Amino acid sequence: MSAVTSPAVRLEGVRRIYHPGGADEVRALDGVDLSIGPGDYLSVEGPSGSGKTTLLNLLGLLDVPSEGRVVWRGTPVERFSERERTRLRRTGIGFIFQRFYLLPTLTALENVELPLQARGLPGPERRHRARALLAQVGLAERERSFPHQLSGGEEQRVAIARALANGPQLLLADEPTGELDSIRAQQVLDLLEAAQRSSGAAVVVVTHNPAVATRARRHLTMRDGRIVTDSAGR
Amino acid sequence: MNAIRWSLRWRSLKHRSAQTFLAVAAIGAAVALPVVLLSVGGGVYAHELSSIEQAGFSLSVGSTGAHGLSGVHVLANRIDGLGGVAAASPILSIAVDLSTPGGTVVPVLAEGIIPAAFAATQGAAERALLPSSISLGDPSDTAHYSNGSYTGPSSAQVLLSTPLLQTLNVGSGGHVRLSPSSNATAGVQFTVEGAFGLPPGFLGPSPLFVALLPLSQLQSLVGLAHLPSGGLLDSADSIQVAMVPSQAADPVAVQRVAAAIQVLVPYYSVVSLTEQTAELQSAQAVITGFYVGLSSVGLIVGLLFLVIILLRRVEQERQSIGIRRAIGVPAWLVAQGIVAEALALTFAGLLVGLTAGVATVEFLARYGSGGVADIAGLATFDPVTLGLLGAGLVGLALVASVLPIRRALTLSLPEVLR
Repeated sequence: MSAVTSPAVRLEGVRRIYHPGGADEVRALDGVDLSIGPGDYLSVEGPSGSGKTTLLNLLGLLDVPSEGRVVWRGTPVERFSERERTRLRRTGIGFIFQRFYLLPTLTALENVELPLQARGLPGPERRHRARALLAQVGLAERERSFPHQLSGGEEQRVAIARALANGPQLLLADEPTGELDSIRAQQVLDLLEAAQRSSGAAVVVVTHNPAVATRARRHLTMRDGRIVTDSAGR
Repeated sequence: MNAIRWSLRWRSLKHRSAQTFLAVAAIGAAVALPVVLLSVGGGVYAHELSSIEQAGFSLSVGSTGAHGLSGVHVLANRIDGLGGVAAASPILSIAVDLSTPGGTVVPVLAEGIIPAAFAATQGAAERALLPSSISLGDPSDTAHYSNGSYTGPSSAQVLLSTPLLQTLNVGSGGHVRLSPSSNATAGVQFTVEGAFGLPPGFLGPSPLFVALLPLSQLQSLVGLAHLPSGGLLDSADSIQVAMVPSQAADPVAVQRVAAAIQVLVPYYSVVSLTEQTAELQSAQAVITGFYVGLSSVGLIVGLLFLVIILLRRVEQERQSIGIRRAIGVPAWLVAQGIVAEALALTFAGLLVGLTAGVATVEFLARYGSGGVADIAGLATFDPVTLGLLGAGLVGLALVASVLPIRRALTLSLPEVLR
């Protein structure tokens, strides 16, 4: 584990139980303790159903624990209202999804602009920053393209540009190369690494891909809702 | 709202063009109905109100009894003698049969009048339809009436409505026979003195075949001059009372004359046009309430349709909504998007509905049959009414957005992003 004095986010005895008490009760996370510091680069591996995505949802403030605490920069998340959690997602967290999740009715530029607009940036500044981010991911020429006009690799690069738009302290990627071939996967990983280095953000990547995991400096393995290994570097 | 949000909404509408079309069509249909009802209803009301306001008389004396008013020649003279009164015109309306020398028999509405008084109590519009002078013999109808004797010279002259004259193919100077029954031989021969036009009738079938003749002549013809016992009846349906021009617009003067007439005839009703206007307004309020109720049903159906469409869109766009919520788009912006979409559909529906409503009224006015065309031709598109309709619709659109917004904001993000 990295030496973290001021964690970006910390999980303390977190449980996430779906349908508690019912016959179909699922313990997606079952007593997870985790601390992620600024600049950490973590990979999370584990079989399907081990709780990786649930962990990401809790780290990204998309979900709340059934038990335990999620502490965001020193403040327990349960103290935040939904509005404050939304603001934190907007200003502090970047999401990269396996299926890119770009808005299909917006162009590449507009997709990148979206978080900037939500932050209330004026139009010209927003467009300037969005263009710079698209240039950073090598898509300056495709700003007017709609998602259906882009390749998978291009879509994921737009998604990365969108995730970086508001300068997040925590970048969460769920199988970011899951739908890409190896060459495009490498490009995406290069971008993630470059973004992590330049911004100092903590990066958490959920993956099944060993090539992805080798990029990380810290590796978690999950099984049955628990972190079974947490090791620094390979 | 800035460009991205507009483009997002516009592309969403375009993307789901079938739903957009259906929603706009439903709202349009819901809007067209009140546009037609309120514009035609308002037009008819305005026309009737205008007719009352432009009438040449200010008061009407009437009775609900089967025999109507009696002793009307004397009564009209006494009313005429009241201060502020310009003319008092008794009118008797009754159906009779009219036969031509060629053997044609048609039922007509005969109106017995005192020519001079009748002309003085007509408004400008009606006067324009009458000949410059109503040539029916004795203008004051006193020679024949002669204090109830109904003797002396008989004018036996009649004016016929233009449609009647055209149907009978009888010219001025020709002769027709009027009879209280289909037995023409029991009737009286009249000389046709000329024709007069008819005002349009909008609230029911308007009699096209009308004959104007001296009151005393009609009374004698139909047996309303004397009672069966031989006593004087001298009957009419009503007496219209015109005020002198300087007092006609003064409600106090009108009420003063009405009170004076009421003293003369405490058993008859004396109604001012102001009261008639109030009655018309009350009736109009009831009818408008009915129209609004009927229209509300259409608007509520349109509203429900809008709710269903918006809910369906939220369902279809749940992933997009989830993505936006995940990257930190505030709830109010998501809500604003749904409201914007509801308003866009509503405004489009409003535009379609207004256009369809106006087009329907125009179509009916041009191609409707008979009275339908006449009524549609009266329609008035009051900007205030249409504005209120639009405002009400916008309010309904906002109400329609509530449930879809609630649905959108309670989506489980982990679930929609799975």
